[in-house]
Amino acid sequence: MAAKGPLKLKAKGRKGSKGSSSSSTSSSKYELFKDWTNWSLKKAKVATHYGFIPLIIVVGMKSDPKPHLFQLLSPV
Amino acid sequence: MADIFPPLVTSQIDAKPKVDEKVDYSNLPCPVPYEELHREASMSLKADNFEGLRFDFGKGLNQKFSLTHSVMMGPTEVPSQSPDTTIKIPTAHYEFGANYFDPKLMLSGKVMTDGRLNARLKADFTDKLILKANAQLTGEPHMSHSVFNFDYMGKDYRAQLQLGNSALIGATYIQSVTPRLSLGGEVFWAGVPRKSGLGYAARYETDQMVASAQVASTGLVAMNYVQKISEKVSLATDFMYNYFSRDVVASVGYDYILRQSRVRGKIDFNGVTSALLEERLSMGLNFLLSAEVDHKKKDYKFGLGLLVG
Repeated sequence: MAAKGPLKLKAKGRKGSKGSSSSSTSSSKYELFKDWTNWSLKKAKVATHYGFIPLIIVVGMKSDPKPHLFQLLSPV
Repeated sequence: MADIFPPLVTSQIDAKPKVDEKVDYSNLPCPVPYEELHREASMSLKADNFEGLRFDFGKGLNQKFSLTHSVMMGPTEVPSQSPDTTIKIPTAHYEFGANYFDPKLMLSGKVMTDGRLNARLKADFTDKLILKANAQLTGEPHMSHSVFNFDYMGKDYRAQLQLGNSALIGATYIQSVTPRLSLGGEVFWAGVPRKSGLGYAARYETDQMVASAQVASTGLVAMNYVQKISEKVSLATDFMYNYFSRDVVASVGYDYILRQSRVRGKIDFNGVTSALLEERLSMGLNFLLSAEVDHKKKDYKFGLGLLVG
């Protein structure tokens, strides 16, 4: 019984510390989420900037009737 | 031009006068989208006048896929301190574009020599739900804009949700109240200049005329009226007023659609006169002449263009 006392206190102490750290992790989780969305939006912007026109060209070259590569490059 | 004014088919075929016709309130037509409220007036009054030379060459590879090459040489305006003088810097650029048009998906992209990309996407998820996205991307940080619109088309209403890149959220709703009158509203919230706004709009149309009005909490009041005189001629007038900054602009314009050409012109009460002529020289060859004369600022702009394909 006596041994359990300090165990209980330790558990409480741990819980208490966990509680405060969980609130800080939840706030930092929000920060992490914001940082992650900013990072992914930046990457999406770069991907769109470089890849949008090639995407249209790829989609267009696959449509029926399939145009020839020569038609894509020639000026006539 | 015929598809602009929705034909009231029943009243035109019947010999009975329109007064006798009962309005079927459960069967109203779908209204125009909220952003196209002033569509007919914009065609005459907000024609795209340009300055300099413009040469567009479009090559279709396919029914759905086409490439465009555009060369533009002319002065571009730079904002200056005093409102009386305009600073113009001559520029020349080449723009390459690719377009893909499918009934369910439309992709359009244009890239300039300085790396600016102008991208548009329109996807029909279902019959009624459409996604539209529009983006201008540049290499410089914080100078890119993108807007995503989700449109839902109901039986006699349309609703739209708009999301923009710097925390911009907006929603619009427009509803047909009678076969000729539609009313709508919008609300938006912009994160960067922290402001929100509310607006209302109304549009009344018949076969011969369209009248629309819009009020917004940003201080804008816009009213316009378009009268279709005949199949070839229509006249438009527009009045815009900002009740915070007390700016008033009124303009009157015309739109002549002839067999081989289309002339649009307007005169403004700020002293700006402009006209745009598009002439079809032969199949696939269009010639453009644009002129804009601003008497108050003594700014004269003339443009010449050729569109091939």
